[in-house]
Amino acid sequence: MIYKAIIADDEKELRTYLKRMLAETWPQLEICGEAINGKEAMKLIDDFAPHIAFLDIKMPGLSGLDVAKKIAGVCHIVFVTAFDQYAVEAFEREAVDYLVKPVTKERLLQTIHRLKKHLQSSPEPSEGLTQMITHVLAGLQDNPRTDRYLRWIKTQHKDCVRLISVEEIDYFQSGDKYTLVMTAEGEALIKKSIKELSRELDPQKFWQIHRGTIVNVSRIEIVARSFTGRGVLKLKNRPDTLTVSRQYLHLFRQM
Amino acid sequence: MTMEERYETEYVFKYWLNFNNVLTDFIINIIICLLIALAVTIIGPIKDFLTNFVLVQSIGITGSLTVFFSLLIFRPRSWTLFLFIAGVAICCSVFIGLQISIFILQYFLNTHLDLWTHNLGLQAVIAGIIFSFIDLYFFITKITTRYHNTMIEQEKIRRTAMEKEYLAANLKMLQAQIEPHFLFNTLSNILSLIDTSPHKGKSMLLDLTNYLRTSLSRTLPEKTTLSQEISMIKAYLDIQKIRMDDRLNYTIDVPDSLGQKSFPPMLLQPLVENALKHGLEPKVEGGEIIIRAIEENNVLKIDVADTGLGFSDLDKPGLGIANVRERLHLLFGEKGRFIIEENDPCGVRAIIEVPINDI
Repeated sequence: MIYKAIIADDEKELRTYLKRMLAETWPQLEICGEAINGKEAMKLIDDFAPHIAFLDIKMPGLSGLDVAKKIAGVCHIVFVTAFDQYAVEAFEREAVDYLVKPVTKERLLQTIHRLKKHLQSSPEPSEGLTQMITHVLAGLQDNPRTDRYLRWIKTQHKDCVRLISVEEIDYFQSGDKYTLVMTAEGEALIKKSIKELSRELDPQKFWQIHRGTIVNVSRIEIVARSFTGRGVLKLKNRPDTLTVSRQYLHLFRQM
Repeated sequence: MTMEERYETEYVFKYWLNFNNVLTDFIINIIICLLIALAVTIIGPIKDFLTNFVLVQSIGITGSLTVFFSLLIFRPRSWTLFLFIAGVAICCSVFIGLQISIFILQYFLNTHLDLWTHNLGLQAVIAGIIFSFIDLYFFITKITTRYHNTMIEQEKIRRTAMEKEYLAANLKMLQAQIEPHFLFNTLSNILSLIDTSPHKGKSMLLDLTNYLRTSLSRTLPEKTTLSQEISMIKAYLDIQKIRMDDRLNYTIDVPDSLGQKSFPPMLLQPLVENALKHGLEPKVEGGEIIIRAIEENNVLKIDVADTGLGFSDLDKPGLGIANVRERLHLLFGEKGRFIIEENDPCGVRAIIEVPINDI
């Protein structure tokens, strides 16, 4: 029986390399398609119903893991990765086939040997695999969109939109219609209200200290207490002081 | 009832569990009562100091003890409750205190004071209650102020510790700059090119060497020229160009005259890396990077623009960006500027401005 496979990798040179290595080590295997991203890989799998899919983990759009999650049970999967310690550990644990780049001949032969054995049986949608992938995906999020806090403030500046990272901001102060964004470089106006900001900013890094003020915690130099029972905040590298109303004073102790 | 009140009242409670604190406050209370007795002798209806002294001290001591014990027993968690308990205790103790003082005056000093039959009794009760409340207010303010000061001290200590951690993290970041993904993918590319087109493989290996030599050096050279920096960035982009093929295009536009100007090392590189990592690599169709340097009023302006995914509001800015800002500030103070804008029609434009200097 002739087995069919597809290769998915966003790097052209690496696709050709794997294809060449496979031609050497498993000449009977037919490579019926090459994909340059996850979406294309999905399409190839739909069109050709290959027995095996070699999936690079890191691809633009859909990653190899995303694809695998969707096609679990449709064909045998071999993950290819340059460097994902976390994923590799999970693959080892779950006995999933994987290759590390640069792919060596010995390793590829081993994998082929295992594949040939597995191919006797049809790929079953295993609960374990899907679960493992979900796990790995969660663990691999070195990227960004995991916690949902506001990181960038967009302000209109002449004819362009300026991006201010929240780390740069000393404090927010509510104005008539707009909110004032104070940074070391100057000030800018945004439409978001203090109320909205207090919901969206990371509460570990930004504290609302007054009805109209949110301060960047890392910029606080000292907190003093005034006679009226309110707090007075002095900021680093700034002349201005901010008032902490009584109801927010608790922020400065229970930590 | 706010958390704030809970912590404050709790502190007062704990403060009075300490014997030394109780003793100090007891002595202070006796002194305050002495002063009140003096004041009452001067302005009050009874002109005999000793009588006043006995009156005030008995009310003071009975009052402080009743307030002290009732607070320990009921342990109020809000100021309203606290004041209620203290108020009841004060009112009772004023009567008891007065009765005790009448007893003391009669049996030890042979002075008969007929308080209850005159207006004098009412005056004594009202004065006793007012003075007791003032006295209580004094102690509460004293203890809460002390509480707030300790809290501020603790906060300061915590903050210093956090800053230390931050510096350590920063150092770690600087030491681990090369992405293993990038390195292993590049090596795989070279391995493949050795068979198919050795020339291309060779030049990629040279680019990698150039890139690694600069990135791995633990100490940055004091001064480099802009063109030295650009040649390193070009090496990096050439590697990426082979990896990403037609998903990446780049243009570098730096006039020769500006290339000879001095420019701090490793300031531009994080921006280019960021543009690729967050902008172009994750974008399916890829895009373009344009690096341009111009001179304007003795300011060297360099901008790195990409047509990648851009930043959503929630994207974490890379550590590289924070580092660039920090170093720029350390090197040039107010004169160094770092701006990030949205690029037209998509992606990000990062602009660095430094004062122009010949090397």
